Amino acid sequence: MRPQDVRVVERLQPAPDCVELVLEFPQDEEPEPGQFYMLSAGDGRDTYLPRPLSFFRTFSPRRMSFLFRVVGPGTAALGRLRPRDRLQAMGPLGHGFPLPERPLRAALVGGGVGVPPLWSLGRALRQRGCEVIALIGARTRFGLLGQAELQGLGIEVRTATDDGSRGHHGPVTDLLGETGADAVVACGPEPMLRAVQAFAERTRLQDTYLALEAAMACGYGVCLGCAVERKSPDPELGAYGTYARVCREGPVFRWDEVKL
Amino acid sequence: MELATEVAGITFKNPVLTASGTFGYGREAAELYDLSLLGGVMVKGVSREPWSGNPPIRIARAPGGMLNAIGLQNPGLEHFLTVDLPFLRDYDTKVIVNVVDHDEEGFLAVVRGVDGQRGVAAIELNISCPNVADGLLFSQDPDRAAGLVAKVRQATRLPLIVKISPNVTDPVGLGRACAQAGADALSAINTVLGMAIDVERRRPVIANRTGGLSGPAVKPVGLRIVYDLARALDIPVIGMGGIESGRDALEYLMAGARAVAVGTAVFRDPLAPPRIIGELERELEAAGFASVGEAWAAANPDARRRTQDA
Repeated sequence: MRPQDVRVVERLQPAPDCVELVLEFPQDEEPEPGQFYMLSAGDGRDTYLPRPLSFFRTFSPRRMSFLFRVVGPGTAALGRLRPRDRLQAMGPLGHGFPLPERPLRAALVGGGVGVPPLWSLGRALRQRGCEVIALIGARTRFGLLGQAELQGLGIEVRTATDDGSRGHHGPVTDLLGETGADAVVACGPEPMLRAVQAFAERTRLQDTYLALEAAMACGYGVCLGCAVERKSPDPELGAYGTYARVCREGPVFRWDEVKL
Repeated sequence: MELATEVAGITFKNPVLTASGTFGYGREAAELYDLSLLGGVMVKGVSREPWSGNPPIRIARAPGGMLNAIGLQNPGLEHFLTVDLPFLRDYDTKVIVNVVDHDEEGFLAVVRGVDGQRGVAAIELNISCPNVADGLLFSQDPDRAAGLVAKVRQATRLPLIVKISPNVTDPVGLGRACAQAGADALSAINTVLGMAIDVERRRPVIANRTGGLSGPAVKPVGLRIVYDLARALDIPVIGMGGIESGRDALEYLMAGARAVAVGTAVFRDPLAPPRIIGELERELEAAGFASVGEAWAAANPDARRRTQDA
């Protein structure tokens, strides 16, 4: 991890309220799928804290993109950036997804803007000879992100929307049962992650991993802001072990490590 | 440029410290730069037993800053002494141990545990955390604060720094009571109690409801309190609150701080402390000061006069 001065090379708008920024780093970066960066744009007056974002696509060792929905002043400042603008990126941070030693059948579950970390994971799994199926969910068809990019990796994509405007009418996790997957990886809103946890518990699918998001100030372990409750804390740590840091111990946890 | 400064008998090689609660015990920042560059490290609050901290959400965004209610999550005294302090000992910097607990007995247990340990330069008594149920108990009443300070004073020969809350009517009265009870220095300010509201969820953003505001937004509050403390009291002040540049650090020195601490800035820029040391050196020179001592209280004539009279 290190703070770096990066440059915007391209700005895409895959949905009305979503932006994908392609950034050029000063050095070769080799982040693991699931790791993230803290990005900060602007002078910090509107929003002081940097924004944690998982990287989405990688194009070359120095070029990767970040896909986000504009929801508050932090993402708004990032969304206003244009090609040639500069910003700070601190990373790569956290622990990524564990990769299987043998090929398996993996289901990737992405809700809304939870899709980005699944692209690089999908690519790594495909390179390892895994069969990969992606389940993408959103409120409406306009919020379905990353479909074409995942298909471009040779991954079958199934969709679900809350309003039934495309794909399955209902939660994307309804589709999990029919995938026959040996491993599940999910990133998205908390209700979706809870449904994935419940699925793993019901089916005893130990190889189920969740990539969490949390309100976070630093991203590198010093603020203790991004606490998530552990399911079985280390008794050696006493009360201190109650919470894990999403930024350091995560953002990827096995389904049975955390209480959501 | 003479950057060294003395506070409560401790000589810091430069006046830039890291503020408690924004730096853990140094392990993470040590992945980014050599901690020996720092004048000092004020570690995350240490309590007698391990503490879990508050349930999430612990953080909220604010213009020019942030709110936090971490609730002093920390691994406790024993872990600090066996794991964290030995790590920090390897660096050539002054380690100040921030001590916190629920009651007098707890404070004294931590102070006695830390006393006599190699590599501890001073104790900072945290009687000003707004994010735990009884965090401000000792700050709300100067007599009560003085009672604690007097007891701690008897329990250790280490320099004793008391961290002053901005969430009181009369910070100077509180500081005076602490000084009279034996405090060697004061640090100011802790965070400013605040709140953020989540419109969609119809409740405060932070699970603890209130949180402490920090960052550039609180710098004017910090400067005012440091100025008032330096003007009224004989013991030195370590200034903090919204410092993110060498210029900010110089403003605190000129207001009357003998040293400064960088806190929330490290969340936005993890390299802020070493950067600020370099910037401060240039700012001092540009302002015509040959040393930190010359800049001290340059904007606070009453404070300067008081040292000349003494």
